[in-house]
Parts: sequence; C-alpha cells; structure tokens
Amino acid sequence: MTSAIVLATSGLVAGYERDLPIVRGIDFSLHAGELVVILGPNGAGKSTFVKAIAGLVPVHAGTTMLGEIDVTALPADEKIRHGLAFVPQTENVFATLSIKDNLLVAADILPKDLRNRRIAEIYAMFPDLADRTSRRAGQLSGGQRQMLAIARALIVEPSVLILDEPSAGLSPKIVAEVFARLRSINRAGVSIILVEQNVKAALAVADRAVILVEGRLRHEGTAAGLTEDPIIAELYLGARPNRALTP
Amino acid sequence: MNPQTLMDGLIAGSMIGLGAVGITLTYSILRFANFAHGDMISWGAYFALAIAGALGAAFSGLLTPIGPFSFGWALPIAALAATVLNGGLALLVDALLFKRLRARNSTVIIMVMASFGAALTLRSLLEFIFTSKPAYYTNALQIALPLGGGIRATPDQMLSLAVSVVIVIAVHLLLSRTAIGRSMRAVSENVQLSGLVGIRVRRVIRIVWVLGAVLAAIAGVFAGVLVQIRPEMGLDLLLPLFAAAILGGIGSVPGAMFGGLIIGVSEALAVGVVGAQWRAAVSFVILIVVLLVRPQGLFGRAE
Repeated sequence: MTSAIVLATSGLVAGYERDLPIVRGIDFSLHAGELVVILGPNGAGKSTFVKAIAGLVPVHAGTTMLGEIDVTALPADEKIRHGLAFVPQTENVFATLSIKDNLLVAADILPKDLRNRRIAEIYAMFPDLADRTSRRAGQLSGGQRQMLAIARALIVEPSVLILDEPSAGLSPKIVAEVFARLRSINRAGVSIILVEQNVKAALAVADRAVILVEGRLRHEGTAAGLTEDPIIAELYLGARPNRALTP
Repeated sequence: MNPQTLMDGLIAGSMIGLGAVGITLTYSILRFANFAHGDMISWGAYFALAIAGALGAAFSGLLTPIGPFSFGWALPIAALAATVLNGGLALLVDALLFKRLRARNSTVIIMVMASFGAALTLRSLLEFIFTSKPAYYTNALQIALPLGGGIRATPDQMLSLAVSVVIVIAVHLLLSRTAIGRSMRAVSENVQLSGLVGIRVRRVIRIVWVLGAVLAAIAGVFAGVLVQIRPEMGLDLLLPLFAAAILGGIGSVPGAMFGGLIIGVSEALAVGVVGAQWRAAVSFVILIVVLLVRPQGLFGRAE
C-alpha cells in the first residue's frame, strides 16, 4: 500500500484503569481509501482500541495521529471536527429524536449553508431514511438504525469512519446490506476501520485485516491472505485443519 | 368546584409550573435531582429586590406603578438583571461544585447530596445578607378585578399566569425548533453519543444551568410579587416543584407546567375541603401516587 496514511497509532496503551490497560501498545496505520477489519477473540481489546482512538476510553501512553494532527488527547466532539467519525455498537442513534433530528444534530457542526445540502445528499444515499424523516429513531428496525447511525456519521464527510461491530444483532440479509453499503462508502473515498465478530463477512469486504490478541496486534495481512492462512482460518474462521490419515 | 378556587389554584400552579420547568430541564439533562433549585428561586427574588430597591432609590419615578399593576418599572428592569445574575450564580455553583464532581465521575447520589449542601449554603447566605425578615417589592394594595363567572383576580396574578404560559411555550419552542434545543434533547438521551456527533456537551450543560436559573429567577420574582420574599420561599416550593416535574414527566416542558397547574389546583381544593394545614401534604400525596402508578408521569415515556 503506497497511499498516504490517514490514521496511525503508535504504542497506544489504553483502558479504563491506568493499572489495568486493555490495549497494550498497538502500532497501527490506516491508509487513504483502505477498509481495514480488526479481528480477534472476545476480550482481545478490539472495541477498546477503537474507542480509545475515538476518545471514549482513556489513553495512558502512545499517540493517535489523524493525518498530520495529533488527536490523542482530543475529546470525541473535537475529533469529529477533524474528520474522525465513530459509530458505536449499541445505542448509536438518538431513539427519542426523529430521523431528521438525528441527522440535523450531527449537521449542526457544519457551516449553515452546507447543512441542508449534506442532508439532501445523505437522503439521496439512503432513500429509506428519506421516506420516513419524521419517524422516531427508536421505532426503526435494527438494520434501519444501523443505516441511520452510518448516515449520521457521514454527514460531516469524515476522512476516517470507525464502526464497532455494525453487524451485531442483525439478520444475515441485513448484514449483507450493511456491508455492501460500507464497501460503496469506502469506494467513494472514506477510509474505514471495522471491528467485527462476523469474520467471514468482514473479510469479504475488507482490504486488510489485523488480529488483536490480549491487547496486542498479533497478525496483520491482506484480507485474502488471512482467509487462506490455515492457522488463522482455524483460530478465527472456524475452519478445520486437514487431519486426514495418511498410510 | 368553586370557580374562584380553580382560579386561585391556576395562579399558584403557574408559579409552581415555572419552577418545575427549570427542575425538569436540569433533571433530564444534568441527570440528578437538583435540590438547590428552590434556593435559586429565592436568590432570583432577592437579586430583583436588591436591584429594584437601588433603582427606586436612584430614580424614584421608576417606583410609580405601571398601569393596573402594583409595581413600577424598577421591578421589570430588576427582574431582567436578576435573570442574568442568577444565571451567573448557577454557573459559579457549577464551577465550584458540580463540575468538579462530574470530572470525578461522581455517582448520582453524590450529586444529589452536593445539591443539598449547595441549597443550605445558598439559603444561609441569603439569611446572612438580607436577614430572615419577609420583604416585599411594593406596599401597594391591589383590588381583585371581576373576570366573570364569579372569578376575581388581581392584575399581578393575571400577569403571572400569562407570563408563565408565554415562557413555557418559548422554552418548548426552544427545545423543539432550535439547534441548541436539539443538542439539549440529544444530551439528555445519550451524553457519550452526543460527544461523538460533535455536540459540545460542557457548553450544553452550562446553557442548561443558565436556562434553569433564568426560569428560577422569573418564578422567584412572581412568587415575591404575589406572596412575599423570604429566604425559605424556594425551600417551601421545592416539594411542589418536584411533584409537578415528576407528574408531568421528567424532560417534558409542557408536562411540567401542566403538572404545576394540577398541583396548584389540588392544593387550592385541599384548602377548601380539608383545611389549609394540609396544603403541603397534597404535593406529597400526588408525588407518591404518581411514582406508584405512573412513574414516567403524564407526558413521559416508559423506559
């Protein structure tokens, strides 16, 4: 990959308690236009890692660079202004607000003359949302909520979009729709970091994957390469190694 | 029901509703029951008393009653200044106390206990500065005017009712139609997500403190105009305020006003039926019944 690095962490140590870091020194980089999936077993620190990047978990050491800007210590509301958008796994929409207000509340940080244009563009991109703008987000299905959360994150035209397990709780059909949408957003130029438990579906859309184990980056490679790696396939993809008896 | 009892209840209820709007905003957005809100009402009343007194001393013409009302221009001007000062006081209390507790991720019970401490301090300061002797904005007597149907009310009382309704509509429109109102609703639902979408949560919290204090000051001034000004006036209103906010549904501005009117009318009815000594018990009974039967209140949504 020769394109510019849009986000990089260096020796990132993070966790809710200083004495008990969950993320233990991760060096990671995301290139422009890349879609990287972060995999790993439960408790590996995947969500904590991306939350630390987003400003939701205390960082105890290391740095996060967004392009040339050190955003390590910035709160989440500043990071979004620098183009770093994060979609949490749960409670990722304002359930009591309408679809339109969910979008407007994110658009409020844009210049006034830009807000309506961006919302019109988002409605064109997500026509399902345009058909029910006054409906409360709490009345939407799981898939529609996920789409609304992604649409809201895109309002500010972020350079980096991070999603924490967007497939959680969704049916396979909806997961396919969400991932196809993410791929098209990525092709439009948004670099994406995806934390996923749904390994096969994630690797199918990703360019590259990294695997975290116990808060450290253990493996890294192209999505296709990792899919074909027999150890990775056994550990994380549920494949059985060839144990045929030989004479 | 005696129409006059209804009118008396609505007038008292409008003051309760005004204070309850401040309670419901701070409760839903700051996420704790602020027991110092009653004392912010008292401070608003005393700020206006001090400024109106100074204005009257400097410009005696400002004390001449405006039309049918009991007060001169000194009071509206002082009330306006009191809203500003009360907003500043709320920000000071937040900076000295609640902001530090938020930074430590203090639990709700610690915030509530801290608000008790703030309430005691604010009340004691008022007694120290102004003494506990009751005070009045004006000594002018007002004659209640017949409104038809056997109902009478003074111009001051009608003004209180009208201003309360206008303010509730204004706050409701602020919350439902403006960017800052949208941000306040978002923060009340999910603080973390609000930060992620770019809302400056600390700014929203400051605005909520100021808005609550402004509403408290207006409620305090009307309570002073219609009854009297005492350091305990806010404390005496506290239970009806919480009862009204919870009856209306925490977070609902129209609900808080509606709850205030119901509390006011219920208290007025109780005075006629069981005696004035039971007036304070009415709020308590309504509060218990609401918490048992419909804890989300009349306009609130069940979790």
